[in-house]
Amino acid sequence: MPGMAHPQQHQFNPYSENGGTILAIAGADFTVIAGDTRQSEGYSIQTRYAPKVFRLTDRAVLAVNGFAADGNMFVKKVKQRLEWYRHAHAKDMPLRAIARLIQTMLYAQRFFPYYVYNILGGIEDDGTGAVYSFDPVGSYEREACRAAGAAQSLVQPFLDNQIYFKNQTAAPGQTHPCHLPLPDVLSIVIDSFTSATERHIEVGDGLEMYIVLAKGRTLHGMEGLRGAQELSTQTDGERVFVVRRELKKD
Amino acid sequence: MQYNGGSIVAMVGKDCVAIASDLRLGSQALTVATNFEKIFPVQDRLYLGLTGLASDVATLRERFRFLTNAYTMKESRAITPSAFAHLVSSTLYERRFGPYFIEPVIAGLEFHPAPEGEGKGTWRPYIAGADLIGCLNFAKDFIVAGTAADKLFGVAEGLWEPDMEAEDLFETISQTLMNAVDRDAYSGWGAVVHVITKDKVVTRTLKSRMD
Amino acid sequence: MMNTFAKRFEKKPIGLRGTQGAVTEDDQITDAAWGSEAGFGNLVKGTHSFNVPAVPDPTAFLRMHTDDHADPNCRIKIQHGTTTLAFRYKGGVIVAVDSRATAGSYVASGTVRKVIEINPYLLGTMAGGAADCQYWETYLGMQCRLHELRNKERISVAAASKYLSNLVYSYKGMGLSMGTMICGWDKTGPAVFYVDSDGTRLKGDLFSVGSGSTFAYGVLDQGYRWDLSDEEAQELGRRSIYAAGHRDAFSGNSCNLYHVKVDGWVYLGNYDISQMHYEGPGDVPGSTGKGYGYDVRTGHRFSVAAEAVTA
Repeated sequence: MPGMAHPQQHQFNPYSENGGTILAIAGADFTVIAGDTRQSEGYSIQTRYAPKVFRLTDRAVLAVNGFAADGNMFVKKVKQRLEWYRHAHAKDMPLRAIARLIQTMLYAQRFFPYYVYNILGGIEDDGTGAVYSFDPVGSYEREACRAAGAAQSLVQPFLDNQIYFKNQTAAPGQTHPCHLPLPDVLSIVIDSFTSATERHIEVGDGLEMYIVLAKGRTLHGMEGLRGAQELSTQTDGERVFVVRRELKKD
Repeated sequence: MQYNGGSIVAMVGKDCVAIASDLRLGSQALTVATNFEKIFPVQDRLYLGLTGLASDVATLRERFRFLTNAYTMKESRAITPSAFAHLVSSTLYERRFGPYFIEPVIAGLEFHPAPEGEGKGTWRPYIAGADLIGCLNFAKDFIVAGTAADKLFGVAEGLWEPDMEAEDLFETISQTLMNAVDRDAYSGWGAVVHVITKDKVVTRTLKSRMD
Repeated sequence: MMNTFAKRFEKKPIGLRGTQGAVTEDDQITDAAWGSEAGFGNLVKGTHSFNVPAVPDPTAFLRMHTDDHADPNCRIKIQHGTTTLAFRYKGGVIVAVDSRATAGSYVASGTVRKVIEINPYLLGTMAGGAADCQYWETYLGMQCRLHELRNKERISVAAASKYLSNLVYSYKGMGLSMGTMICGWDKTGPAVFYVDSDGTRLKGDLFSVGSGSTFAYGVLDQGYRWDLSDEEAQELGRRSIYAAGHRDAFSGNSCNLYHVKVDGWVYLGNYDISQMHYEGPGDVPGSTGKGYGYDVRTGHRFSVAAEAVTA
């Protein structure tokens, strides 16, 4: 009969996409972890300030992106596990152990995944900068730089070219530097986000950059960095700073 | 549009334009050829790039050759880039309800004659892109198309600046193309770049990743 | 009648919760979870338990939201691994893998380690879902160590592969995706077992797994013999991964090569696939010194002259 609708079946869809982009770059003795602050759903902006990057400990910072509800809950659960660890062992968890912990927490939800792309950045036990990136069900890998989120396909190839010097041959007799200095890394991060904001609708509004410095490293490279706010709790260990910048709001 | 793969980028410089593409022809995951050109000369200083379904690339290349030859015979002059762009648009819209699976990119130099008594005119850079049913995009900086379009946007936005000379433009467009296609599974396996200036067109093949 | 017969043998996946009543936060988090018995270390309670959504068909739910093949536009793109190979010969086992991970058509990473070092004498490869392989092969490493402690001798490759295959069989149909090869040298000599998430477990001499496996098989089958020398065997592994990386869109970046000998495995190095195309693998045993690429070897002479493109 005309006009008779087919039987409707509503499947359970608990996920949504909240846009945004995160990235992290590891230096020789520092790591920069950054994320934009826009949270959107479809063509609407839910809020212009929803942080996606969180300080876990003085040496570890976690950036989460994908479905904001899962992301915020996941960060809360990771922080709870880290606090239990601190009470049980009287020290902070080392970064590579936090990475493994995140794998097992994500894989525990293998059949009902957290829709979150995680990037963990910070300082390893040996004082080097480290970035660990995860997929939603827990596979992970240590890298020097990684972008994730709505504009990952815009930002990651740019990072490949500027951080890893891919497709560039060094001048004869020289080699490309293994690690870049902090001011260069910060400029690359800001340029990546302004480019992503230009060409992707879900990126914009504001940028938050967390800088984690190794123990004993001076603040060189951060002179003149307007608006840097310190978040570390101790004076003699690793140090964490956050810097906020504006991005285009259209 | 992803069946055969491939990507194209065009950029504007100071009195020059560049257009570049990869050379892959694939059949989904299988790479069938690494010498499949997607950019064709239309006039001396006008190039057309076609990405998308390879069968439509070949068909439309011939169709535009026919249409521009007919234009030249009727008008006794070469077609200009802006007229050609509109020709591409209307040709694609003719197939509005059964389209060609193509994203065309047009790059060339347009001659602007000088006002009366002020000597010779100038050649100004012109680029345009269109979607599969002919909606034109007259960007002033760069046009990207193909399976690696997102990646090309990211790198191009980061590397492009206005008024680059021909050599700098070549470096910029090459880095844009190579780094973007390295992040795309369906593009790559070779790259070719055409840099068009008012006296000559320089075509270079890049040594790029073959995986 | 057949239905009741089949029902008796219907397999219930182990360790699922969520379909029988609500699971509260307190149930999940015991005191043990907060200490070092959490994560992998939760063997006190026996096998794993996973959270499952409270829907009638959890498998379909997972497939709808994560499976690339069923719906390429699904939201959660899990990284897939691709060409891996392993073969055994008189000198042990050669294991060669590529290093590309793709999420849809986006190349998520070119530096994935697809050989998982279970312990110093056992290797596992990764193909299919990266997280499934990483997680369960780490778990397998723990089981192998426990076996050593209980039996005071190294676990055989057959037993190790059987642990893994029984484990994934208990999750059969739930949506795990793994195609792995467990390689080692035990009392019976060098051994390679193929284990996948359908529950298949096969002993064999030569396997290749992943989207590029057909290309790798082409080279492997042509060059394989039992009495290869070590150099020839390494070269065969590299050359096969090159072939797959070159032709398959989802394989590439670089080749990681391992050799399992009687006293354990050695890592033979990382070889960039594009560099092998143009210049060959470099100064390594077995190398021919020339590039592998067809156009490089033929001096760019194609049999069909490129059509002159006319305006």
